Amino acid sequence: MTEEAKQMIEHILRRIRKPTLVIDENTPLVSSGLVDSMALGDVVLKLEDLTNTRIPPGAAKPKDMDTVAKMFATAERVGKPRK
Amino acid sequence: MVRYQNLVEALNAAPGDRPFISAWVNEDEQETVTFAEFRRRARVQAGALRSHSVNGGDRVIIIMPQGIPAMTVFAGAMILGAAPAFIAYPNDKVEPSKYRSGLAGVTANLKARLVVIDTEFPEEMLGHVSLSEETRLLHAGDGRVPGREEELPDAKDQADHVAFIQHSAGTTGLQKGVALTHSAVMRQVEHLVQALEINDATDRVYSWLPLYHDMGLIACFMLPMACHIPVVMQSPIDWVMHPETMLQVISEHKCTLAWLPNFAFQFVPRRTRPNRRTQYDLSSVRALINCSEPVRTSSMQEFQNAFAATGLKAGALQSSYAMAENVFAVTQSDIGRSSGPTRIWADGRQFRNSHRVVQVVEGSAGSVSFTSSGRLLPNHEIRIVSDSSAPLGEGQAGEVLIKSDCLFDGYYNRPDLTAKAIVGGWYHTGDLGFCLDGELYVVGRKKDLIIVGGENLYPQDIEEIAAAHRAVHDGRVIATGVYNPDLGTEEIIIVAEVESEDLLANTVEIEREIRSQVTAGLGVTVATVYLKPPKWIVKSTAGKPARSATLEKLQKEHPELNV
Repeated sequence: MTEEAKQMIEHILRRIRKPTLVIDENTPLVSSGLVDSMALGDVVLKLEDLTNTRIPPGAAKPKDMDTVAKMFATAERVGKPRK
Repeated sequence: MVRYQNLVEALNAAPGDRPFISAWVNEDEQETVTFAEFRRRARVQAGALRSHSVNGGDRVIIIMPQGIPAMTVFAGAMILGAAPAFIAYPNDKVEPSKYRSGLAGVTANLKARLVVIDTEFPEEMLGHVSLSEETRLLHAGDGRVPGREEELPDAKDQADHVAFIQHSAGTTGLQKGVALTHSAVMRQVEHLVQALEINDATDRVYSWLPLYHDMGLIACFMLPMACHIPVVMQSPIDWVMHPETMLQVISEHKCTLAWLPNFAFQFVPRRTRPNRRTQYDLSSVRALINCSEPVRTSSMQEFQNAFAATGLKAGALQSSYAMAENVFAVTQSDIGRSSGPTRIWADGRQFRNSHRVVQVVEGSAGSVSFTSSGRLLPNHEIRIVSDSSAPLGEGQAGEVLIKSDCLFDGYYNRPDLTAKAIVGGWYHTGDLGFCLDGELYVVGRKKDLIIVGGENLYPQDIEEIAAAHRAVHDGRVIATGVYNPDLGTEEIIIVAEVESEDLLANTVEIEREIRSQVTAGLGVTVATVYLKPPKWIVKSTAGKPARSATLEKLQKEHPELNV
């Protein structure tokens, strides 16, 4: 697991207020209800920081953010360099 | 503004080359349709609906993702004289079981001729669409219903026909369909034009609001359609994933009007990086109207402070009291007043004991503050009444009753609910409020009031104190009263979500602290504090704590309670 993925997992656990939960890169987050749509805005901001990209609005849907692995794959696929 | 008899006539009269809807996805992806193009597409949809036996008076349910295709199906149904109804598209905010239950109730109640869904609609939900022999299901393909362009029928005689059906938002209220006539909607539009000083040459609406909610449907679709003003819209899910884009869209399109629920006034600034705020230009905004949940001055202040450097005008943040049963708005704060909605401070104990406002100096010890929802729209009347229906005077809080020329006739196919809601021509809103100097202040819901030893307590006051505890997650608190037969009165119980599960190890200490803080703040005793893990409290379709559903859940876990 990359350092960025670890940081994302820590961020998500803080955001969903379950610091003792164990999740990995492939744990379903949105489809399992762990991360709701209101939290996705924070997750997108964190993903942009960790990948130094900008995720264009509309380019990523909640299903694209279902696992930490999918988040980074999405950033790789649709992320644009930050200005 | 020219007066039209109905919405179809208003749409038909719009200048064809004027932009109507811009569906904004990002800076590189957006689609704008003019009024002429929207009309053409709506006629095509009308043709498709007619080919599926939809006629005047029929109901058409639309369960499609938010966007221009869904809106043209809606307008197409109105062109035929049918009554369309948007139903929320399944999303991750709503529990599937709750969605299925609501969907089954709504479709059974409306007895629609046609249910229009898109090809992405989840198969597992289809079984919960109530399809009778007369009801057909139509897949809208790529989001557009295929069909030929239908000639516009003469719509002049439609004024007293049902224009559409909108549904009260909430967790269990989905079954309550509010049928609204063209004439009621057109009168509401006229009142809004007057109160908001709408100028069809310069105004432009911004919206991410869902169209199945009155704020999205009326303020951001029907009003622009009838007034011939452009609207720039995003999908709600795109907005919630990128809240900052609201600022981008307003800046790019120089939008002048938007409606937002209270939480958005905090949600956007907290998710916009400080170093990016100054790149936006909000100087075009005439009014960002706080509507649909209790107005909190602190939320509006946070927005104003965060975006002060964007050219946001003082007084651009406004408020309104609105409900589907009245088409939309009942009140509106004074547009253009530089200080924004009126805010007052009152003696807290006097207010709780006697429901009476005794004004005190700002920030006085034990004071409570209220933010006005504004003045009544034209041809609107309001009464504040006690539990025994006695009229109450200035500054006295009671149930808000309204009467207007926009009021609905009743809940669709629900005479039982209608008879309880409309008595003698007055709609009993179930909201508690008071009037002062010609302005309405809404303070809570009647059914939520807690009465302890004759003292009236507003759960919001208790919840605000409990939510301030460092271990409690912001906003995830519900307070209610439980009748104790031994005491002959209600006791206060609080349900609160902790920030993280590990805090549940400190339950005893946290409960004690919350109890003592409530006692210190309000002078009342809390019987029990139930601390629950994250995400335990049930949320409404709008993402807010759902009081009744949460209390049902609590009772299941604690059957000894008589909630």
